[in-house]
Amino acid sequence: MARLPSLRGPKVPQQVPRLVAVFALAAIALIAARYFLVPASFGEKGHYRAAALDTIVAREKQYAGQQECALCHSAIMDARLAGNHQGVACESCHGPAAAHAANPVEAKPSVPREREFCPRCHAYNPARPTGFPQIDPVAHNPLAPCVSCHDPHQPEPPVTPESCSACHRQIVSQKAVSHHATLLCTTCHRAPDGHKTSPRTVRPGKPSDRNFCGSCHSADASSPQQIPRINLRTHNPRYVCWQCHYPHYPETS
Amino acid sequence: MQGFIYPNEFELYWGLLIVVYPYVTGLVAGAFILASLERVFNVKEVQPTYRLALLTALAFLLVAPLPLLAHLGHPFRSYEIFLTPNRQSAMAMFGFVYAWYLMVVLLLEIWFDYRKDLVLWYRNETGWRRWVHYALTLGATDLSEKSLRFDDRAGRWITIIGIPSAFLLHGYVGFIFGSVKANPWWSSVLMPVVFLFSAIVSGIALVLIIYMIASMLRWKPVDMRCADKLAAFLFYAMVVDVSLEMLDFIHRLYESEESIGILTQLIESRLFISLVVLQLALGALIPLTLLGLTSPALSKEPIFKVPDELRRLIYLASAILVQIGIFSIRWNVVMGGQLFSKSLRGLTVYRLELFGLEGLLMTMALLALPFVILWVLVKVLPPWPEAEAELPEPGAGADELPSATLP
Repeated sequence: MARLPSLRGPKVPQQVPRLVAVFALAAIALIAARYFLVPASFGEKGHYRAAALDTIVAREKQYAGQQECALCHSAIMDARLAGNHQGVACESCHGPAAAHAANPVEAKPSVPREREFCPRCHAYNPARPTGFPQIDPVAHNPLAPCVSCHDPHQPEPPVTPESCSACHRQIVSQKAVSHHATLLCTTCHRAPDGHKTSPRTVRPGKPSDRNFCGSCHSADASSPQQIPRINLRTHNPRYVCWQCHYPHYPETS
Repeated sequence: MQGFIYPNEFELYWGLLIVVYPYVTGLVAGAFILASLERVFNVKEVQPTYRLALLTALAFLLVAPLPLLAHLGHPFRSYEIFLTPNRQSAMAMFGFVYAWYLMVVLLLEIWFDYRKDLVLWYRNETGWRRWVHYALTLGATDLSEKSLRFDDRAGRWITIIGIPSAFLLHGYVGFIFGSVKANPWWSSVLMPVVFLFSAIVSGIALVLIIYMIASMLRWKPVDMRCADKLAAFLFYAMVVDVSLEMLDFIHRLYESEESIGILTQLIESRLFISLVVLQLALGALIPLTLLGLTSPALSKEPIFKVPDELRRLIYLASAILVQIGIFSIRWNVVMGGQLFSKSLRGLTVYRLELFGLEGLLMTMALLALPFVILWVLVKVLPPWPEAEAELPEPGAGADELPSATLP
């Protein structure tokens, strides 16, 4: 590397005052901009405009707070505080209700009854904690509003579904119009009790043996005569039946 | 989406524009460091690209904050980072890092380097160019020997300040990512250093590309000594850069922290093309092999002696591959850090939009803009050796116009 020269000299070169002027102008512009553009209260309480707090405080109140609701709706409040929604404030579902608290007759808060509302919290999502009640909104009793079975002010802990249709509605509906309509789900599936409460960890079984379908459909089965028959030994012997036939809606013939 | 991700990880907040930002700042820092080779380290061979490298750095530096402005979406508030600086936030200090580099380093160095030519051009020209060049001299038209010596000394001092500043500029970008301790893909103390060396690689490659294409467009021969030297420096910088990347990689593998499983999945699935194929194979191994075999990087005589025309093509192809590789590095850093869940149990996907403020078209426009700016800069401040004006004979009268060769 070349030897570093000294910048000192007897007379200031012409370039220096010009550059100093440019940088001084930039500095003055910055100082002036700070003077005019930085709000007076900036930095008083932190890295923000302190007067912003007054602006926010001055805004019109939208939420009443659940203590206000309890003044009139004490029965509902007591029920809610005893149940699983005790941590969900009234206005989380009913929306901001300051106007209703001020004028209970004319201003009414919203009452969400539509099916899309509850799944905002209760739709299945892998990120939700284990044990949090979650459903698949497509399969879980389609079209029925949530409030027709569940009381949102005192929701019961998740109960074991009475039948498979609570979760497998699509399959149940399809099977109902098929030739297998009279068969119970449990005719073919072994469903351990645990499956109803922990559906993703306790899985139901399905037939793994050709002879299972063969007990009705093989040529020598003792089932009613109108049931279609095959020769189990010659009919695609390397496959399990449901690899080709969909048992929830088997083809006619 | 695959596996388990948290709800706030579904959407990637840093998109393609945030890939462009470190890419562009890297080009700036790299181009400047290349320029400093000639100025401070007296590598005379790369002299033909000295001014071009400075102008390239300036053109890209002017564009560097635009991806951030487009991403943040409130460009009219951007000046507030200067007015109410938050010294606790590395990101908020970007304005000062940027302003220091632009005002104190790059513009000053260009000004000191061009001042003699600006004065001579101004004296020789008519019309708007005359006034533009006069305005750019800031009225400092003294061309005495002492004054020119001052320009030279000041320029050298600024370059000396500029090298750590260039390190600061791009090291800073790496620091932003490296200091996110919650993200195992980013959090690495090597990040600023890796960024810096990849910046040097990309800057040298960019100036090489621009120099060759500009020579072609101007029907001028490429100075092969310069091209060979650039290729050799590109090779050396790449060796350091790839070694650092490998060090980072091996270190992660050996440490084998709890994140190693998901990071392995990330590399094997989401980043396979951009990391293994583009960054390592196309962007590093092929150019390293090509440059190592054909350029005089490893010995004075290259391993394979190839004719100049073919060597030029090889250099150009290598430099373009390097650009693809470096862009992939930026992509892999920015996107890779967001594609896996902080639960370390799932991967998400990035959806690129075409239109919109953060879309592909905007990105392409922002990547094209520096070349437009460079074209304007080259028109106003021609960086070519033949455009340099000659000083008047010592005996010439003060009123006489100096003879100058203009483009």
